[in-house]
Amino acid sequence: MTFSASRRGVLGFLAVASIGLAPVSAAWAAQDARTFIQSFGEQLVAIVNSPLSLADKKEKIMPLVSRNVDIDGIGRYCLGRFWKTATPEQQQHYLVLFHQILANAIADKLGDYRGVSFTIGNVTRVGDDDSVEATLMRPQQPPAAMQWVVNSSTGSPKVVDVIGEGASLRLTQRNDYSSFIARNGGDVEALLRALQKQIDHHNAASAQQ
Amino acid sequence: MGWLGRTQHKVGAKMTSGRNGAWLRPCAQAQQDHGTRGGWRSGAGRFGLAVLLASTTACSAIKAPVPKDPDALAEYKAANDPYEPLNRKTYNMTMKVDKYALRPVAKAYVWAVPRPVRNSLGNMITTMNEPSVFFNDVGAGKPRRAGDSFVRWCINMTAGLGGFIDVAKMAGYPHHANDAGLTMANWGISSGPYLFLPMGPSSVRDGIGYGIDQGLSPWNYVPRGYGLISFNWAYNMMGVVHGRAEHLDDLDALQRDALDPYATIRSAYQQQRKAQAEAIRNDHRATVPAWYQ
Repeated sequence: MTFSASRRGVLGFLAVASIGLAPVSAAWAAQDARTFIQSFGEQLVAIVNSPLSLADKKEKIMPLVSRNVDIDGIGRYCLGRFWKTATPEQQQHYLVLFHQILANAIADKLGDYRGVSFTIGNVTRVGDDDSVEATLMRPQQPPAAMQWVVNSSTGSPKVVDVIGEGASLRLTQRNDYSSFIARNGGDVEALLRALQKQIDHHNAASAQQ
Repeated sequence: MGWLGRTQHKVGAKMTSGRNGAWLRPCAQAQQDHGTRGGWRSGAGRFGLAVLLASTTACSAIKAPVPKDPDALAEYKAANDPYEPLNRKTYNMTMKVDKYALRPVAKAYVWAVPRPVRNSLGNMITTMNEPSVFFNDVGAGKPRRAGDSFVRWCINMTAGLGGFIDVAKMAGYPHHANDAGLTMANWGISSGPYLFLPMGPSSVRDGIGYGIDQGLSPWNYVPRGYGLISFNWAYNMMGVVHGRAEHLDDLDALQRDALDPYATIRSAYQQQRKAQAEAIRNDHRATVPAWYQ
């Protein structure tokens, strides 16, 4: 892990250094995104396939996800037009809840997988982002194709979206949230309450197990 | 919610994916007793939809009010769902039927039938729909895809013992989906407003396509007899139950995690259809298979 982290650091440095060379940088960014997803994916799969207990896996996976996924950015995107109307306190509260919900979602999925592997396909440029094709292989299940959307504008590459079966997760999530808020009279507080309720439910369910 | 949680499954799109949505097939079978053929059924579907749309435009309670706020208006346009109040009613009704009838049956099916047998039945359902895929591939002007589905049909119906074994996949011809809605999408016909029909999420175009697909399935043209009617009923009900069983976990997760499952299904369905149509459009593989060149 230290090796791949330092390799990423070197790549990040080279990516920044090559900004001046415009024609080179686009090709380089694609390569960078690919390497980034390869390394992130390998670390994820290593945790998922390891013989650790579920609790240990959860503990190890969240720091890795926080480092490599732009959770705040995705959270802001998911709130859509209501981000502007929310008060700073609401925004802050929302992001805390969003982090928690993402962690719960990942924790729920962890137990389902064992013996997974993945391959990386083409990298295409979509606007400011790079879309990296990946295929996830699970035993006794058909392979799942997905695209990881990587944004490098902040200097270090971060995952900003995952597209599975043609559907963008953050866009689908945004439509879910905005429809819910709109049907509750445009009140962001209603969303915060609902998210809190989901977290409480999840905690109660995991406490029972 | 399940942000990453939904990575791995079809995001709740097809509830009756078995064989191009087999929900309505038993009714279609009943219609055939009047000596009619599948051909007019697409016309009837079109007419039915036209009547439905005419009545919905006439009744404003079924249409959602257009928002004034520019941001809300942009969202309203992106959702492409002017008949949302009506669609939500259909959605609620469908989910109720699902909860008390279809889902328990699908769960029982998964409990009673071992996975290898279910896989074989799934293969059979897919193979039996291959002619419809073939005609749509031809319609979309994609000879390589049409060739694939034709070869799949020939191999699986013979070597695959009537479709139970997917030999074609082993031979390098995996299944690809296609339906008349996607074919029309490739002709440049836009989807029209979103519709939630009793068999799942749809649109005006895809709803019409559904009717056309019924006409493209050869099973409607085989001479009638007691054996065939029994087979058709069994096959259609099997398709519905099997299709639902394939999505048990996905739909449960969606119902649990989404704050507004209706809006989530709508969004996922619209994105998936767009991606499917694009995948067909971008398939420029050569017509001659690689081994011949």
